[in-house]
Amino acid sequence: MLEVFSVFWALVPVTLAQSLILSFVVLGVMIPFRILSFPNLTSEGAYPLGGAVCAVALLAGVPAFLSIALAFTAGFLAGTLTAFIHLRFHIHTLLAGILVTTMLYSVNLRILGKPNIPLFREIKVFDYLAFPFLSINAGKILLAGLLGLLFVLTLRFWFNTERGIVMRAVGDNSDMAEAQGNNVNRSIFLGIGVAGGCSAFSGSLMVQSQSFVDVNMGLGILINALAALMIGEAITGRERLLKQLAAPFIGSIIYYQLISFCLAAGLAPSDLKIATGIFVIAMLAGPTLIQKRPVRMAHEKIRE
Amino acid sequence: MLHILGAQKTFFSGKPDEKVALDGLNLTLDKGEFVVVIGSNGAGKSTLLNAISGSLMLDSGSIHIGGHDVTRVSVHQRARYVARVFQDPMKGTAAGMTVAENMLLAELRQSKARLRVGLTTKRRDWYREQLSYLKLGLEDRLDTRVSLLSGGQRQSLSLVMAVMDEPNILLLDEHTAALDPRTAALVLDATIRAVDIFKLTTLMVSHNMQHAVDYGTRILMLESGKVKFDIAGDDKVSVTISGLTDHFSVKTDRMLLGAEYA
Ligand SMILES: Nc1ncnc2c1ncn2[C@@H]1O[C@H](COP(=O)(O)OP(=O)(O)O)[C@@H](O)[C@H]1O
Ligand SMILES: [Mg+2]
Repeated sequence: MLEVFSVFWALVPVTLAQSLILSFVVLGVMIPFRILSFPNLTSEGAYPLGGAVCAVALLAGVPAFLSIALAFTAGFLAGTLTAFIHLRFHIHTLLAGILVTTMLYSVNLRILGKPNIPLFREIKVFDYLAFPFLSINAGKILLAGLLGLLFVLTLRFWFNTERGIVMRAVGDNSDMAEAQGNNVNRSIFLGIGVAGGCSAFSGSLMVQSQSFVDVNMGLGILINALAALMIGEAITGRERLLKQLAAPFIGSIIYYQLISFCLAAGLAPSDLKIATGIFVIAMLAGPTLIQKRPVRMAHEKIRE
Repeated sequence: MLHILGAQKTFFSGKPDEKVALDGLNLTLDKGEFVVVIGSNGAGKSTLLNAISGSLMLDSGSIHIGGHDVTRVSVHQRARYVARVFQDPMKGTAAGMTVAENMLLAELRQSKARLRVGLTTKRRDWYREQLSYLKLGLEDRLDTRVSLLSGGQRQSLSLVMAVMDEPNILLLDEHTAALDPRTAALVLDATIRAVDIFKLTTLMVSHNMQHAVDYGTRILMLESGKVKFDIAGDDKVSVTISGLTDHFSVKTDRMLLGAEYA
């Protein structure tokens, strides 16, 4: 038992750095799912897309920050493609996301040229924080943490602007948002695009963190993100905007430590996905089990 | 203010269950007119309102609002002329957002949403004032999520949101029918006051003949997608329920005489 803990403990900093980087995918899952009511699977393809674009840019000598921006843009476009397929052809959002993810696999392979590439010599964004007093992990934690804070604060500001409030209304009641004179499609394009951008952003940080890019790096990322989101929301709640925005980050930090603990305790890595799947089902099903008869305004008898 | 010419709308055209909802309907409304629209179930009342708001496009015919041809204009572009309260209190508000945020959405109907802080102190004060006219205490609940309000409060909020920017045309489709009688009376009372204060050009669908007699400046009776009766001016002032019923039979209607329909 003690051994399990010491193994786990030794991995805490590495896991923390990883989880902060991956929390942007969780954010990319949360925004469509919770704010736009547009369940979306594009992350699974946008995340490796971000990794691929960033890696190729770095290899071509593009500075790290610019490479990340390129990755974000690519993810944004992937998101808008999903939104377009849904809005234009009335294909279900989930199917639209699966289609885009599937197509992106080929795209990512084309971008990379081969399934995986090491990135040892290129200057990565974390190298800017390579101070003697800062361990490599501490540098990653610091940078990813600050970026997370920046995203949360920016999004909080955005969602309290006129346009951001309109975007939230589109997710809440799109008929009403439209009847109030808003272009619903524009909000969806932008929101789903930014979500795709966040996932790609995460991928671009990840390849720089591990100095390695692999076309299969997105496999299962979505279900991990969903699990992390469930945990985060269980902790923060969802009734205020800031809580909803913080949930992906808090959830990601805790979720990946849990995974790390399970692995330290001897769970075979190959069994992780089924464990995660069962966990997500339990989290989603939990409330319906506890609360036998869901109370909902919509069905309630209207009274004063 | 409103000009409808030869409005034609057929559902399932050419199929066995073809339904002619509007059949060459003509209607002209002057500014400030308050029309109560009555008619049996399926007469085309909702379709008429949907056509005016833009949520349904006409098969043929034209609609002008305030001199603008809006026949082919989408819902969100018509929103600056037309405000609407639905029968279902859930439809007119965003449940997961606060009262103030909902009011902001209504206010933005007249302008473009911009990249600047939405709920300024100035706006919140204005919303508080608008809500206080309702006398429902909503002015103290600006930051309450709408899902926590009762149906009547939600519908009252929808009403304030509809009238606060003095739209060219206000559409009310049985907006009190889903409420219990006491709340319905409250909301209706607020409606009458708002229409009166802002001199709004209004189309109100009602199943209650007493409403048609008591309120408004004009009664429009629809049947099979056409205007069957149009009573305005002195005729409207002197109209009685028995006078109305003399005009048409109501045996098979779900219209109730005098009693609240719920
Ligand atoms: N979206 C729709 N699809 C098919 N038929 C419709 C639709 N809306 C209305 N109708 C039909 O059009 C006719 C008029 O309906 P409506 O305008 O809702 O009547 P009212 O509001 O006067 O009760 C009815 O026969 C109705 O069945
Ligand atoms: Mg109707």
